[in-house]
Amino acid sequence: MTATVPAAPGPVTRRAAASIPGSGRLLRLELRHNATLWLLPLAVALFWFNGYREIMALPPMWNLRAMTLQNRLLLDLTIPVTAAAAWMGSREGRRNIADLVAGTARPRWARQLTAWAATTAWAEVACLACVGVVYVMTARQASWGGPLWWPAAVSVAGVPALTAVGFAAGAWFPSRFVTPLVTIVAFFGLGFGTQAASGDHSYWQISPLTAGAFDIGAVPGVAAFYHYLPDLSIAQVMFAAGVTLAVLGALGVSAALNGPRLRWLAALIAAVGLAAAGTADALAGTGRLDPHGMIVIPALHDAASDQPVRYTPVCSRTAIPVCVHPAYATFLPNVTSAVGAELTEIAGLPGAPARISQVAEVYQQDPGNAITSLAGVPGGSALILPDQVPGEHGVTSAQFAGDLQDTLGLQLIRDVILGGNASAAARPSQAELAVIAASVRPGSMWLGPSAADVNAPELSGRPLLALSRPAARAARRFAALPAAAKHAWLAQHLAALQAGQISLAQLP
Amino acid sequence: MNVETTDLTRRFGRHQAVAGVDLQAGPGVFGLLGPNGAGKTTLLRMMATVIPPTAGRLRLLGRDPGAYGPRREIRRRLGYLPQNLGYYPGFTVVEFVEYFALLKEMPPARVPAAVAAAVERVDLGDRAKARLRTLSGGMLRRVGIAQAIVNEPELLLLDEPTAGLDPEQRVAFRALLRDLGQRATVVVSTHLVEDVGAACSEVALMDRGKIVFHGTPAELTARGADQGTGDAPLERGYTAVLAAART
Repeated sequence: MTATVPAAPGPVTRRAAASIPGSGRLLRLELRHNATLWLLPLAVALFWFNGYREIMALPPMWNLRAMTLQNRLLLDLTIPVTAAAAWMGSREGRRNIADLVAGTARPRWARQLTAWAATTAWAEVACLACVGVVYVMTARQASWGGPLWWPAAVSVAGVPALTAVGFAAGAWFPSRFVTPLVTIVAFFGLGFGTQAASGDHSYWQISPLTAGAFDIGAVPGVAAFYHYLPDLSIAQVMFAAGVTLAVLGALGVSAALNGPRLRWLAALIAAVGLAAAGTADALAGTGRLDPHGMIVIPALHDAASDQPVRYTPVCSRTAIPVCVHPAYATFLPNVTSAVGAELTEIAGLPGAPARISQVAEVYQQDPGNAITSLAGVPGGSALILPDQVPGEHGVTSAQFAGDLQDTLGLQLIRDVILGGNASAAARPSQAELAVIAASVRPGSMWLGPSAADVNAPELSGRPLLALSRPAARAARRFAALPAAAKHAWLAQHLAALQAGQISLAQLP
Repeated sequence: MNVETTDLTRRFGRHQAVAGVDLQAGPGVFGLLGPNGAGKTTLLRMMATVIPPTAGRLRLLGRDPGAYGPRREIRRRLGYLPQNLGYYPGFTVVEFVEYFALLKEMPPARVPAAVAAAVERVDLGDRAKARLRTLSGGMLRRVGIAQAIVNEPELLLLDEPTAGLDPEQRVAFRALLRDLGQRATVVVSTHLVEDVGAACSEVALMDRGKIVFHGTPAELTARGADQGTGDAPLERGYTAVLAAART
């Protein structure tokens, strides 16, 4: 140790202007030595394992992926981010450095905020990286639309809340046990928080993981035909920001040696945060399901968002063109292959639509968390695609095709064969039923001798395909014909069939 | 006077750690001696504004540390090395000292030079980039001294600063103390009476929370001229004063 100094500095004086670079240098040190930095690989791995693989397995639709991202990302980040924040918050106590830093001029709260900011900055890097990867991949795959920023904003706003809670817990209870404890509480609290919702007026919708109405959540039809409504997202961002401010403010209030001005400021910030979080939760409780599957909060709602999205439909080159929303363009081949035979069979016949266009599903909130899809749009010219599209939650193309044949295919054939009798109480003839059963491909399921009328769809309250044994034999005969031959026969005999002048024996 | 205490008292529950201490110290090196549990560390923690006194009056650098503004001003001009030095193992020597320079609100432009100077003064220039987890106990103690002196404090409080230092380093440290004492008030709490004899211009001896002796090292030595036990004259003075205080 040397007793001489090269250049002995004079008395320490503080300039207000110098405090900003000083804080910046402190932040740089904290960034360099932050526990979150070491947990970033874990955060990314957890997201890859739990969220990313599931999101990327979904069809490349912006709405579907963005809303699922909101539902997964924050939960995946909870463990590493909260743990790192709690570890950083408890650092001074664990490292027995509290006395040393307590004798320094910078207020404890300012010191804590710097460490929290560094922790949050790295956590946000992880969060934004995850969002970025999902959005870049989706941008390369999606057939229509652009990124939805509100779901991502909720996750981004949720990160500081997690770090604030973790950091404060660590600072208040500086033990090495607080880190696992607060991490477990945060993880299960966040995870189970979404399960407590009850209907569209639930305060629990404020959970940043809630990406839409409870019973439907992220489905392709939501935010495709109508703009994504940010009402709930705004409340969630407000709530997360409020929690962050309240916790950080409380941290400042609890530091007794911060000085009266700083403690007043901290108390004010905590009060503002509590007010914001409380208001946001109250607003979430006023939410209601709109017909397009999103949550409307009247106080935050912009009526201009209710206008339908303008788009140019994508149409097939089938005998009857099928036009779908461009976001569904990748599923158009699935649709046409599922009902292609029916389209060929009925094209140009009386009662057959000239064009089939996809329309939006209409939702209605039922008691509890149940939501009804009001899919009954009259007329065969309107197509509602099933909520579960291929690739989503393990749905296969075959299941998707089966759903379409059960709904669209049957509706098209029924409308043409029964014509004006379709909605009437008139009982269809056995010949009509045989033609319908033979024309709808899943009809083969109920053409078997032992299951003639089992599970058949209903018409006017009666099983549509209550076939007699002779009718089933005739249906099997008619089903064996090629679609073009069926079309040719129907073109000649449809009027007679509808008039009841065709017997089962006359069916080809 | 840079340190003035009047009837300074600190209680922890029913235990009175510091019991009515009156003390004045100006520029120079002030030694605080006493057996374990005498209240030296508690007194130093109060002087470092880490804990407030339970009763009595404390003025540091002409200011009242009970008020927030003056306390913050005192802290900018204060250096403190606690008895148990905690540290962040991942920080390098330079980063750790820089961290405390910034916490002491030194003007950022002056920080790099001040950090380099402090690290050099404790002979850690060659280990400046080493992480603290790789340093020995003695080196860590020197890092602690570096952070305490980085802001060229007007009041420097050192609690057992030579614990863990090898003899060569202790000799160098005493020289550093004498140098610092020319401009600032340095209060050194220690068990090692030879440190006091070599570096301090004034010494106080604490026992059971009270100051039982206040004078120069020579005066303390004189108290043990014909009584007391120990190998060195100062040690004999120390034991003689303690024995007298306890009877």
